[in-house]
Order: sequence, then C-alpha cells, then structure tokens
Amino acid sequence: MKLIIAIIRPEKLEEVQDALDKQEVHLMTASDVRGCGSQRGYSESFRGNKGVIRLLSKIKLEIAVNEAYVEPTVQAILKTARSEGGKIGDGKIFVLPLEECYRIRTGEKGGKAIGP
Amino acid sequence: MSTDVKVKDMMRLSYPEKISRLRNRMRDAQWRRYFKAIIAGKALGILLLLGLIVIGPAVLHALTGSSAFGQASTAPSPAMIADLGDSTKNPTINPINTAWTLVAAFLVFCMQAGFTMLEAGFCRSRETVNVLVECIFDTCLCGFLYYTWGYAFMFGQGNGFIGWHDPNDVPGGPVHSWFFLQGITATTLYAGTGVPVLAHWVFQFAFADCASTICSGTMIGRTDFIGDVLYSVCVSGFIYPIIGHWAWGPDGFLANMGQSATPNAFTHFLPNFGMNFHDFAGSTVVHSIGGWIALAGGIMLGPRIGRKFKRDGGAPMLPHDLTVGVIGGFLLWFGWYGFNPGSSLSAMDYGGIGRISANTTLAACTGGLAAEFFIYFRTKKWDCAIITNGFLAGLVAITCPCYWVSPTGACALGAVAGVLVVLGIDLLEFLRIDDPIGAWPVHALNGMWGTLSLGLFACGQYCAGGSSPSGIPVTDGTPGWALTGLFYGGGWKVFEAQCIGVACIHGATFTVAMIVFGVLTMFGRLRISKEGELEGLDLHEHGAPAYPEYVISALAAPRGTPKDIVGHWPHSTDIDQESGGELVGIKK
Repeated sequence: MKLIIAIIRPEKLEEVQDALDKQEVHLMTASDVRGCGSQRGYSESFRGNKGVIRLLSKIKLEIAVNEAYVEPTVQAILKTARSEGGKIGDGKIFVLPLEECYRIRTGEKGGKAIGP
Repeated sequence: MSTDVKVKDMMRLSYPEKISRLRNRMRDAQWRRYFKAIIAGKALGILLLLGLIVIGPAVLHALTGSSAFGQASTAPSPAMIADLGDSTKNPTINPINTAWTLVAAFLVFCMQAGFTMLEAGFCRSRETVNVLVECIFDTCLCGFLYYTWGYAFMFGQGNGFIGWHDPNDVPGGPVHSWFFLQGITATTLYAGTGVPVLAHWVFQFAFADCASTICSGTMIGRTDFIGDVLYSVCVSGFIYPIIGHWAWGPDGFLANMGQSATPNAFTHFLPNFGMNFHDFAGSTVVHSIGGWIALAGGIMLGPRIGRKFKRDGGAPMLPHDLTVGVIGGFLLWFGWYGFNPGSSLSAMDYGGIGRISANTTLAACTGGLAAEFFIYFRTKKWDCAIITNGFLAGLVAITCPCYWVSPTGACALGAVAGVLVVLGIDLLEFLRIDDPIGAWPVHALNGMWGTLSLGLFACGQYCAGGSSPSGIPVTDGTPGWALTGLFYGGGWKVFEAQCIGVACIHGATFTVAMIVFGVLTMFGRLRISKEGELEGLDLHEHGAPAYPEYVISALAAPRGTPKDIVGHWPHSTDIDQESGGELVGIKK
C-alpha cells in the first residue's frame, strides 16, 4: 500500500481526474493548497502598488492505492499534469509507504479497505 | 510566468532614476531635439482636439444646414408662423415632469449596479474583478461618448438613419448641432414634454449604458480588455445611438413608418402602410440591441476553456456567488421602475405611469413563476438562477408594450417570456455557445417577444403617437386613437409593423456586431491568450484576485462541472445505498 501525494496546477485537475478514472483509480482527496517552489510566485497590484504574492495556488491530490496501481497512477498523473513542453510550476508527486488503512463503514482493513 | 514578471520589474526604472536619466539626456543636443519634437507633437494634438470641439459643431452647422433643409424656402410660410405660435411646439419647462424624468434616470442608473452584481455573481471567482472593471469602464466610456456624439446621433434631427441637430430648429433658420451637447441652452426642451434636453440626456445615457453593459454578460471570462474597450466604443458610440435613432429619433424611419406627410424624404418608409413601429421603453431598442451584440460576441469568442456542453456530456460552469447575483437581479427589477414608467417622461400622465408600473410588476412576477415551474417539471429542483433569469425575461418583455396592454395582458406575456427564456438557454446550449449569464435568452429573445407581443396584446384603450390606421377613439378621454392588437380585435396591422421593426433593428444589429467582432478577431484583440485565460482574467489583466485571502478557492480549477454531479447537488448527502455506498456520479 502506498500513499501518493501529487501537487498539480489547478487547471489540470479535470484532465488528471479523467486519466485516473481510465486507470480505474476513482478514490482520492483533493484540496486547494498554497505553496511555493521554483516558480517563486506572481505579482499582484492594488491601486497601483505592486506586491509579490509568494505562495501560488495549487491542488493537492492524496490517493491511497495498492501496489499494483502505483505505477499506472503515477504515470497517468505525470502524463496529464505536465503543461505543454513542461514548465516550472507543473508540480511534484510523492510516493509514501502506507502502514494501515481502515474503511469506517465496514471495519475492513488493509488492501481491501483501500478500494478499487 | 513569474520569472518574466521579475525580469521586467528589474528593467523598470524608479522615478528618481528616470529623472536623472532625463537630465543626462538633456545635455545631449540630439536628445534635446527629440524632446522638443515630442512636446511639439503633443501640443499640436491637444490643440487639434480643442479646435475640433470648438470648431467642429460650427463646421457641421455650415455643412448640414444647407443639406437638411435644402427644400425649405427662405421665407417662412403662414403654416410655419402658426407652428411657432403653437404652444405645443414651444412649451415651457414642466417642473414635475423634469423631476420625474430625473428620478427615473437615477433609478435606471441604479440598474448598472444590478447588472454588475448579476454578472459578478454568475461568473467564476477567477474573473470577477474583470467583470467589475469592465462594467465601470463601460459606464464611464458610455457617458463620455453619449456626450460627444451619441445623443446627437440618436435624438437629434437629421434623416431617417441618423440625427445631429435640435429637432426644434425651424426649417431654414439657424441649426443647433447637438454634438458635444453644443447648441443646447437652459430653455432647450425635449419635444413636447417640458423636460429640459439635459435631463433627457441623463435619462437616455442611463439607457445607453444598459445596452452596452448587457453585451459584456455573454463575453465574461475570455475577452481581452483592449478588445472590450474597442467594442464598447463601437456599441455606445455608434451601434446603439444610430440604430436607436431609427425607432426613437424624431425622424427615425421606423418611428415615422407609414406616414406620408413628413417634410423629410427619408421618413417616407412604406408610406401607405399606415402604422409605425412602437417601442415604448426599449425592449428592442435597448435590450435586443444589447442582447444581439452579446450573441455575436459569444459566437466570435467561442466558449471558455473547459466549458462542456450538454450534448458533450457536460454542464455549465457554476456561478460562484448566487447571493450577489440574485440581489443584482432584484436591483435590476427596482431600476426597471425607472426604466418603464420613466419613459413616459411625464408625471402628469398619472393613469399611464400607474398602469406601466403595475404591468411591469406583473410581467416580472409571472415571468419568474413560469420559468421556475417549467424548470421544476424538468429537473425536479427549484432552481435559483432560472427564476432570476425568468423575472428578468418578463421585465424585458413588458418593456415595449407596458403602456398599451392591460394588467391581464401583462401577466400573459410575462408568463410566455418565462418559458421562452428557458428554451433560449437550451438553444444556446445546443448550439454550443457559452453565455454565462444568459444575456441572449433574456435580452434579445425576450426583447423580440416583448416587441412582437404588442401586436397581440395591445388592448385598444390607450392612446399612441404616430400614424393612425384605424382611428379607434381611446376610452380614457384623451383625444387620439388607440393601439389595438390581434387578441383585442385590432387585426394583424400592429403585429406586422412590429415585425418590420424587429426585422430591421435585430438584423442590422446582429450583422454590424458580427462585422465588428470579426474585425477585432482578425487583429487578435478579441480573445485573451490561452495562458491568460488559464491564469484567470483577474490576475492576468487586473493583477488582483477578487477574494484574495479568505476564499482560498479563488484561483482554483477553471473546470466545468461534469453532468452527473450537477443533478445531485450537494452530492455529499447523496450516498446511494443500493450501489454499495459509492458516491453517486463516480463511474465504476
């Protein structure tokens, strides 16, 4: 069991979700997050005064999968979350080991509880 | 994106640096010559502009004075002298009418707030600032253009297609051009109402502003701001005033259609038809012009990135703030009490303004109800956005016939409008045209319906200006003849006249708007770049999000909502027990 955490561009969410659906990975948690990396931020202006906003808006996906699904999931995200030609700010994918997983409704645990 | 911004920021000089650079350059003879040339050029430009303002009207007097009244003899005929003595031609200022018109003008102006809120509420949060700036910019621009030439084009006397001077001018006498509102004195009154022309100008400016703001509704979220400015100039400066002149100008060819005895050759449009085009407060003139321009814009722009249509298994992007949108709708309704009753320009017509107000209210009520029930039978949900669009559709529809129909007629035509708006939205969805706030179904389609409905519902009791076909006396005691529609035994005549007017105005507006947007597209100024659209117009064009800190999703995904989820909102409660507890809408 692995926990895949992907930080992606907000506008790529739909494409990524479609691609994951095709890999039969349907369950995920998505959150709006702010972060900074080598993209550094953007500048905002208010009544003529410029200010640099250092945290950018991103979407964080958390997907728990069984071993067999790790590679397809990562590949699907890599393929779809990448902007044309690959640009700074496309995001990152982290793969973490996952110790245990329970489904609250049934009390199942382990690979069964993770779902499809 | 941000790396570019940084480099640019570094290259930009601060003011002290600029001043020291300028001082260094001034020591160089070559640079001094450049400087002098630039200053001279700017001064020349300013002088030319001032000269145009001062001399332009005078030149126009000279040019148009001869052509407008070419056929008039220099010696006034006895009939003309009689005209001059006639008190209806030279009325005195009527204080109560003036106050009424101004109050109505301020109410109509309040519709700007309504339009802004409606559009801002119905768009996504990432383009809200763009909507706000666009609406304010439009208002400012429209006021200035309506002063420069808009009002003269629309309400000036001229020919059937365009106007430029005071309609009170005596043929053969001095011509008072209305460009830059020159030639207007404190005593210049708007024909026969006792309202000073400048009060009428404020009222009509608010109308023009409505037309130009309606257009922006369809074009939310993907229009280049420069393109916005350019098409706004065309709309408020040319399309609206010139086409409006046809129906509302003192000698517009639709306003005088069917009359054979007018002094100007251009007004002999269908001289034997015997009926002119009627549009009391602007279903066609204001709303349809705005709505058709909006549709042309929507077609030329194409949908927003990520917008999926019903046929392609998608659904519209959800509005981000319905509270603001609905309050905007109500503000519009409130403003409509200036729009319709104020168009009488007369508080003395107490029966008339009361009837108009009642009709306006009733059409809005039935429009909202009809739309809501119609959509309920289809989706089994009490929809919020559609009832707002429904009552607005009723209001647009009643705008033209509000003076001439009975309250029952108003109810009936409002209800039809409510159903039509839903069908219009369906049609746009089918044609894959992205119209975030429904400007075309509400304003153009129902403007058309409202204008035509006069030919059906005019109840034959209330007096109308213009040419008379039937000579049916009115029952309210005023001398004159009544406008009678098909359902009240008046035959098809009024309906035919309305059809002709609708065909001319709607057709011309849509054609011209397609050309304007086509040219803008050709120069690549209409649609924003793909990067800009993905970044969000607020940040890309205006450098500020609408909800910077407390709504973190302000910049989130620009996605359409998949169809399956829309029907089950809020989906968190929709766990389907039979399918083993999976979330509804997730494909297995």
